Amino acid sequence: MTIIPADHIEHSLEQSLDHCIKCNICTAACPVSAVTDRFPGPKYVGPQAQRFRHERQPSPDESVDYCSGCRVCNEVCPTGVRIAELNARARARLVAERGIPLRNRLISRSGLVGRLGAGPHAPLANALLGFKPLRAVIERTLGIAREAPLPGFSRYTFRSWFGRRRAPQTSNGAPKGQVVYFHGCAANYYEPWIGRAVVAVLEHNGFEVLLPDQRCCGLPLLSNGDFAAARRAHEDNVGFLAPYALRNIPIVGASTSCTLTLKEEAPELLGMQSDAVRAVAQQTFDIFEFLRMLHERGELRTDFRSIERTLPYHAPCQLRAHRIGRPALDVLELVPGLRLVETHASCCGIAGTYGLKVEKYRISMDVGAPLFETVRRSGADMALCDSETCRWQISHGAGVIARHPIEILAEAYGVVT
Amino acid sequence: MRTMIVIGAGLSGLMGALALAEAGLRPLVLAKGQGATHWTAGTIDVWGADERSPREALQALGESRPRHPYALIGAHAVENAIARFRALTEVARYPYVGGLDRNVLLPTAAGALRPVALLPVTMAAGDVRLGGEVLIAGFHELRDFYPPFIAANLAAQGIAARGIYLTTPPAFRRHEYTTVTFAHMFDDPTFRSDIGRQLRAHRGDATRIGLPAILGLRDPLGAVAHLQHESGAQVFEIPTLPPSVPGIRLFALFQHAIEQHGGRLQIGSEVNHGDGQNRLLTTIWSEAAARQQEHRVERALLATGGVAGGGIRTDHTGIVRETALDLPVRAPANRADWFAPRFLDPHGHAVYTAGVATDARLRPLGADDEVVYDNVAVAGATLAGTDTVRERSRSGVSLATGWAAGRILAGLVS
Amino acid sequence: MRTFTTDVLVIGGGATGAGALRDLVLRGIRCALVEKGDLTHGTTGRYHGLLHSGGRYVVKDPQSAEECARENEVLRKIMPHCIEETGGLFVVTPADDEAYADRFVDACRRTGVWVEEIPVREALHREPLLNPRIKRAFAVRDGAADSFLATHANTDDARRYGAQVLTYHRVVGLERVGDRIIGALCEDLRSGETVRVHASFIINATGAWAGKIAAMAGLRINVVPGKGTMIAMNHRIVNTVVNRCKMPADGDIIVPIHTVAVLGTTDIPVPDPDVYDITPEEVHQILEEGECLVPGVSRMRALRAWAGVRPLYKEQDAGSDRDIPRTYKLLDHETRNGVAGMVSIVGGKWTTYRLMAEHTVDLVAQRLGVTTPCRTADLKIEPSHDGAASAPHQSARSQFAILASPFYMLGHRLAEVEADDSYGELICECELVTRAHLEAAIRSEGTANLDDLRRDTRLGMGPCQGGFCTYRAAAIWHELRNGTDRASGVPPATALLRHFLQERWKGVTPTLWGDQLRQERLDELNYLETLAVDRLPDAGHVAIEQKRDYVVEEVV
Repeated sequence: MTIIPADHIEHSLEQSLDHCIKCNICTAACPVSAVTDRFPGPKYVGPQAQRFRHERQPSPDESVDYCSGCRVCNEVCPTGVRIAELNARARARLVAERGIPLRNRLISRSGLVGRLGAGPHAPLANALLGFKPLRAVIERTLGIAREAPLPGFSRYTFRSWFGRRRAPQTSNGAPKGQVVYFHGCAANYYEPWIGRAVVAVLEHNGFEVLLPDQRCCGLPLLSNGDFAAARRAHEDNVGFLAPYALRNIPIVGASTSCTLTLKEEAPELLGMQSDAVRAVAQQTFDIFEFLRMLHERGELRTDFRSIERTLPYHAPCQLRAHRIGRPALDVLELVPGLRLVETHASCCGIAGTYGLKVEKYRISMDVGAPLFETVRRSGADMALCDSETCRWQISHGAGVIARHPIEILAEAYGVVT
Repeated sequence: MRTMIVIGAGLSGLMGALALAEAGLRPLVLAKGQGATHWTAGTIDVWGADERSPREALQALGESRPRHPYALIGAHAVENAIARFRALTEVARYPYVGGLDRNVLLPTAAGALRPVALLPVTMAAGDVRLGGEVLIAGFHELRDFYPPFIAANLAAQGIAARGIYLTTPPAFRRHEYTTVTFAHMFDDPTFRSDIGRQLRAHRGDATRIGLPAILGLRDPLGAVAHLQHESGAQVFEIPTLPPSVPGIRLFALFQHAIEQHGGRLQIGSEVNHGDGQNRLLTTIWSEAAARQQEHRVERALLATGGVAGGGIRTDHTGIVRETALDLPVRAPANRADWFAPRFLDPHGHAVYTAGVATDARLRPLGADDEVVYDNVAVAGATLAGTDTVRERSRSGVSLATGWAAGRILAGLVS
Repeated sequence: MRTFTTDVLVIGGGATGAGALRDLVLRGIRCALVEKGDLTHGTTGRYHGLLHSGGRYVVKDPQSAEECARENEVLRKIMPHCIEETGGLFVVTPADDEAYADRFVDACRRTGVWVEEIPVREALHREPLLNPRIKRAFAVRDGAADSFLATHANTDDARRYGAQVLTYHRVVGLERVGDRIIGALCEDLRSGETVRVHASFIINATGAWAGKIAAMAGLRINVVPGKGTMIAMNHRIVNTVVNRCKMPADGDIIVPIHTVAVLGTTDIPVPDPDVYDITPEEVHQILEEGECLVPGVSRMRALRAWAGVRPLYKEQDAGSDRDIPRTYKLLDHETRNGVAGMVSIVGGKWTTYRLMAEHTVDLVAQRLGVTTPCRTADLKIEPSHDGAASAPHQSARSQFAILASPFYMLGHRLAEVEADDSYGELICECELVTRAHLEAAIRSEGTANLDDLRRDTRLGMGPCQGGFCTYRAAAIWHELRNGTDRASGVPPATALLRHFLQERWKGVTPTLWGDQLRQERLDELNYLETLAVDRLPDAGHVAIEQKRDYVVEEVV
């Protein structure tokens, strides 16, 4: 049940600026303004600058472009200012006025890029993107940092695997229920094994996994200010997913970015309020949020093998933005022998496509430095993180393998992926 | 599933969570955002409303103001809380000094003298009783610290003081600074050496040097020692406007201790509704993306910080509400009675005394003093009956009632 | 005692006085201005900033409407940097009589007030927070004006041409010899010195105080100070001036001005323009009426309430004060009272200040035998570049179109800070006041306390209402103005800090609840707990003036 007291109902995200009491806690917590003074901080570009913005006058903004959209500000704000959303809208306004650079158009179209690179030709694509002189050219022409951690394309897509496999491995007869899996671009084009782990874990717990049509959630489009394209993406996805949501079939994702977009970022930033949009939002779950819910109902299988390991776990910004705590820690706590140590780092720095940009790459690496240091000092050869871009950044910055916690869970269940 | 819930991550919530965590109860702290630790000086003010020592005041309050939070929990409970707090800070290598027998008078960033009971050792050399000439040193780039103004006001009170500005070394220059940016710089030995040398050059006859409270986040004791060594004088910190570096240090050491004992902090989750029956709170909901997060409750500690913390909210019609669980609130009957005409009126403004009334077990009471929930304890500024800012007792009340509430809920105190 | 001689002495440093000064000097007349406080200390600095289209008065007071419509265009031409082209809307809410709308349109046509009916849908698109149930909407040429900037622009220009401007000079007497007024006696509130001014002519431009000044020469003027209370909302809930389409009454307008939206206003006669307070009933009424225009406005964050007193001139017995004509009245005391050497200019709207000044100076010039015509309608007033009230500099960075526009735009301060990367220099962060801007204002001779600084720079006028910047400004004041009070050894800045905190408090309490109350509590944590300003040494000697409690700096 959801009871929201009257004085929490906002007229719009912009009105939330009224809650700001200028305490600067957000500025103190902002990982970007800590490392660069090109970014004056969230209070300045958010609720403070908002009072100077006018829909019908030219945008007075510039430094808001350096906001990475990590949302740490929202997390620490004691009064509920929607700082990240204010910044996102101001950025979109700048984009609307000044246009989107080609680079940003390109990197925000994850679906397109994935489709181009993944498949049998992936090794060639990967070789090209690993070729330093070519990366130097790309940096000079397009502005994608030559050292930025670009993921390797997969030789097969998750969807093709799902389509080809034999009957699902649900144990113990009839399925307990159905679950829609929203795989996102990462699991489909770069890390299909994560998708396989998700499916395996869900089937082990007696669920039938459905795979409707879907496309990129549109988050990179939102972050880069292309609100029109993001709206089209979300409309398409809602079209695909709403029929399930309206039948109360949960939509589960392992990318905390995708699930946050479906739950909140797209509807709020784009002002999309229809019943279908709301239904999809309300039925979307992070995979560990879903598994934790099962556990609270006594329905989660706990036949885990023991895994005697101590591993660093980084809770990505996009997970913390869900405001659901640490579901991965809550579930993995049940695995005997396994000890996860939260890094408590505020941000890995990549912030989606932010750290790929040549003018932001250094900032992104400086933001992530404390996290990389913590991971290195742990001595572990592996780090866990629920977000794909963070995994790639952590590998790049700390030099260790980064896995999704669902992979460890699948391992603990002993399910074949 | 965590069913021992602490609502609020300010000093009272953190003390309560520590008590629950140490009792092995795996508390979950749900907080809308950071608490007042990040806004305030980082000292523990037990009692500063008059010239009595905190100990004397505590003894007297039991009789003169039986509904004061200190009286509800008892002087003994206050001392226990302080002892536990001091031990915690010792272990974290950020020890607090002072006690209940007399307040220490410390200079403020305006040049006034304020009474505090406990203070981190990094502020200890600011004690006005130490005498001698004081050099106040700051940075032009830090817009919340002005040595000439501070020194002039100290001098007007008979304290030999001088104010100077230091030069930020070129390698550390940037467009904008906050207290936290400076604190990171003070964590850097190269920076400290440079500053230390400048201090020595300016020192003259000063035996003590006061700097803004930015002397490092990672190792403030090391920073102070280094600066003392370089400058040849005692060095102390002076708290200034938010963000508060001493407050951030406190939060970090609490977080570490709570998590070490199995507790969990969930910052960014606002509790906005609670449900119960038969005098027991059974469920609370916190705000989350797309839907509320539901939490089953075995016991709950309400530490939402009063008006400042957002735990008590008011509106234009004069309604005063408790925002997390909608508990009954005691408040001045009319909006007309909320404010005194003078901002600095020593009695303060009655609206800030609004809050939840409790019994001696900190259980919330209704209008007729009936217990609303047996399994809930209220702590800190959300408690009714007094304006702890005017009394100069705010952090002391938070500390003591937070600890008491945690211990009560853990079943360790009858 | 100091003495000086001039041809015309203007008493009153509001819009009309400043306008008259500039007009005089442009006609080559030697002149000086005295004002008891800071410029715009009176009504000019306390109104909502409306640049009238005239629409409000077309039915009730057509002459006033006509004057406003004409002067609206003149002011846009001569001082665009003081004016924001917000546009205006008159809307018929469910609480309003639809029949009035047609009368309104007719009357606009007759008085020359530009009006255009627009579809309700368009009005709602433009202003999404407007009452969705409005029935009709009309666009007009209302604007928002910075009266402080405008007044300073006038006096700075006048000073460039040789006029004298003396603030903190309170007139304590008029020198009358027989049937002629020959000068004035003033007290320099900063030095305590008496200043005697010999003048051939005096212009009494003191607005609501005109009666008090005239009485010093034994003359009686029936000026009824009409208190108007206003509430500033934390941000611009509308970007267009929004009016209820009805006969003018209380609480029927919302004016976006700088970073706030002002809800106004009331009209209550007060016997003394220096003595009044703001009642809860007024606040309640303004919010209630505001709900008709913007539903939910009473639950939004209000920053503070304040009042100004209108200088309403009561010729004959009018009904309520709303019935007193808003047009201005030039009182020639020679023809009215047989006393030569002084005129009083009363009534009027800020929008017509220049016209009022023109007519006044026409008469004075005639008496002095000066035939140079008035040029103030044509000569542009250049923005001041020195001093505190400076206009945004024209930046070469083309991406900030805001900085290139001649008119004021909401984003200009932000664009400046972004262009200069000066965010590290912000002293008042809410209103984007940089250290350089503040220091220039502190150094400016006219500034006697932090409240003057506030008027000059907007320090303390944002959400935190001085919560952070009061401390910073006081400390910077101390560094620049230096000194200690000789008697107590306490820096004057300490007393100024406490005074400003109290000044801000007085204005916030009438509207203090919700978010603003939380803000004030944080401000208490800052000032009482962290800074302990209540324990700062007492300066002891402060000059308490009249009922305003402002602190005057001791001249070193």
